[in-house]
Amino acid sequence: MRRITLAFVLFLFPVAGLANDANLVIDNILRGHILPRFDALAVETQGLDDAAARDCAPTSPELRAAYGKAFDAWISASHLRFGPTELEDRAFGLAFWPDSRGATPRALAALIANEDLIGRSPNHYHEVSIAARGFYALEFLLYDKVLMTAGDASYHCALVQTIAADIASTSQAIWDDWRMDYAVTLKKTGPGEIYRSDTEVLQQMFKTLTTGLQFTSEARLGRPLGTFDRPRPNRSEARRSERSSRHVALNLMSLKDMAARLSSNDPDLKKELNMRFAAEQDKLEILNDPTFAGVANPQSRLKIEVLQQSIEAIRKTVRERLGPKLGVAAGFNALDGD
Amino acid sequence: MVIELVLQVTGRRQFLGGLLAASLVPKPSWSDAGSPVFLSAALKPNGSYVLCGIGNGLDIRFEVPLPARGHAAAAHPTRPTAVAFARRPGTFALVLDCVSGTRLATLNCPEGRHFYGHGAFSSDGNLLYTTENAFDAGRGVIGVWNARDGYARVAEWPSGGIGPHDVKRIPGSEVLVVANGGIDTHPDTGRTKLNIPTMNPNLSYIEDGNLIDVAEPPKELRKNSIRHISVDPLGNVAFGMQWQGDGMAPALVGQHHRGKPLHYMEAPEDAIRAMNGYVGSIAHSKDRQTIAVTSPRGGQVQTYDTVSNKLLHSTKIADVCGVAPSAEGFSVTSGTGELINITARQKFGRVTTGLAWDNHLVST
Repeated sequence: MRRITLAFVLFLFPVAGLANDANLVIDNILRGHILPRFDALAVETQGLDDAAARDCAPTSPELRAAYGKAFDAWISASHLRFGPTELEDRAFGLAFWPDSRGATPRALAALIANEDLIGRSPNHYHEVSIAARGFYALEFLLYDKVLMTAGDASYHCALVQTIAADIASTSQAIWDDWRMDYAVTLKKTGPGEIYRSDTEVLQQMFKTLTTGLQFTSEARLGRPLGTFDRPRPNRSEARRSERSSRHVALNLMSLKDMAARLSSNDPDLKKELNMRFAAEQDKLEILNDPTFAGVANPQSRLKIEVLQQSIEAIRKTVRERLGPKLGVAAGFNALDGD
Repeated sequence: MVIELVLQVTGRRQFLGGLLAASLVPKPSWSDAGSPVFLSAALKPNGSYVLCGIGNGLDIRFEVPLPARGHAAAAHPTRPTAVAFARRPGTFALVLDCVSGTRLATLNCPEGRHFYGHGAFSSDGNLLYTTENAFDAGRGVIGVWNARDGYARVAEWPSGGIGPHDVKRIPGSEVLVVANGGIDTHPDTGRTKLNIPTMNPNLSYIEDGNLIDVAEPPKELRKNSIRHISVDPLGNVAFGMQWQGDGMAPALVGQHHRGKPLHYMEAPEDAIRAMNGYVGSIAHSKDRQTIAVTSPRGGQVQTYDTVSNKLLHSTKIADVCGVAPSAEGFSVTSGTGELINITARQKFGRVTTGLAWDNHLVST
């Protein structure tokens, strides 16, 4: 079947008519930010599925390249955690991380040791533990010294193909829901609808920004940082494929874009956020530490700590200055509940 | 006003001190602390943190400094002693003499544990129970401390789940009820929630370290973190939840009685939406007829009828969070400095302070 392109979806999608400001911002975020990201995710994960079908060897350059492109597409969309990504825990099925108790390698090792038939069943693979699904599980099979060669070669190959196919079908389901249903949901607000007002939609967008910043600061940077006395470089996200720093960069790029669109009615705030995001992107580039191995060295550690603090400072600004404009309570208890 | 009251308390302490030295009087009681009926942690305008005693007239009876942001407190059943807990993932709790404002003891979590911010005393006040995270294993535990021996840690019990947040004692018994919120966190990753797809909150009943009963939500409500509890004199437990799933929360308030299934309160969809998926505090009224819940994110106080299980009324109060029973209904506090009396249906008294009241208002 011919693939329905993003351009076609956008063409079908009604242009906001006599819309108010909020409506225009939503339209802009939908067309310019959300739909392109989930379209890219569906395209790139199909590419991953195809590449795995052609060559399942963990060291295959084509497979690894396709994996990288698909993972990039996911990280660029991964802050958009509402609606289609949350149905049936799809986002968790694509990305189970942080895995603080090592569930992913344990679940994969068990599948391989038992040559569990579900590892050969792409259509049923969504039934396994989410720890054994998605990009982080596939990373173990492609890059982990032990798991990339574990077990019977033909089973390992099938498992790689199955996980790739499961990633592709989950991503396709997210995209299908967005283009056939949820894009309209964001536009069709009112009594009895999922979103009662445009403000509620903007608040949902705002939440993707604040939780995205929090996740990058606390998990992507916080996990490897650990404590000064006990840095944990082995906890860096996707360190085996050396993607840790890349994920922070991709996430900052997405969040910078979302922040600009959300603050479009406040040029001063928009400019300030833009500059501060850009400064973080520069810091990350200068750091040039793909896996944040530098957390264990006092000098480079300091730079990673500064990066984390600056991202927290952006989050504070976003919550205190952008939030109230969108009707998000920023009180002492509202901000830091427990 | 605050200064005056502190001086008043200090004067009283000197008076008492003299009497105590002469061994002429019984041990001090809560009335010696200026008879506060509530305790609450707060942030002062100068950026420092305090624990305050609050009187019937919503006046501040005392304030004692805290080294960092507090969360909830536990009042000793007889002595004017309060334990102020650090906010998650803090590792300290201070035992404070509410008459003199002096620190009687400091509780430090053992290695690999942090407090969640709530605690409860045994009926005789000899033991203090605290909710804690054994974070490397991701297990919830109840710390047991001996109040008669300088609050030495004497035992540690499994909490019956992950993320035990609130704990209360069932009146007339030594049974503890624990709200295991179900959410796994680790101090290395701040407040990042590590297990949302597999979270499974519950109410656990614990007696002398034994898990004697557990109530779990049905599968479709497992992303509803059971976070705060209130217990009435008959052992009816009211619980407030925080929704971690997508979209609107199906319910945010429930009731439970040991041995029965969890029961969820009914409210119109718009009223639930107004709470923004978040209940910050919960309390029973003194007559047990009403439950009040607060949502700072929604700026709402809602009351529910414990018999009909239905919403009674919603009141808008910005950044409201602390709630405790009062003679006429409830008293609530807000991060904007307000202390407000409400009945099940309306506000009727208000005191504005320069303090940002923290999450919980605790009855002494």
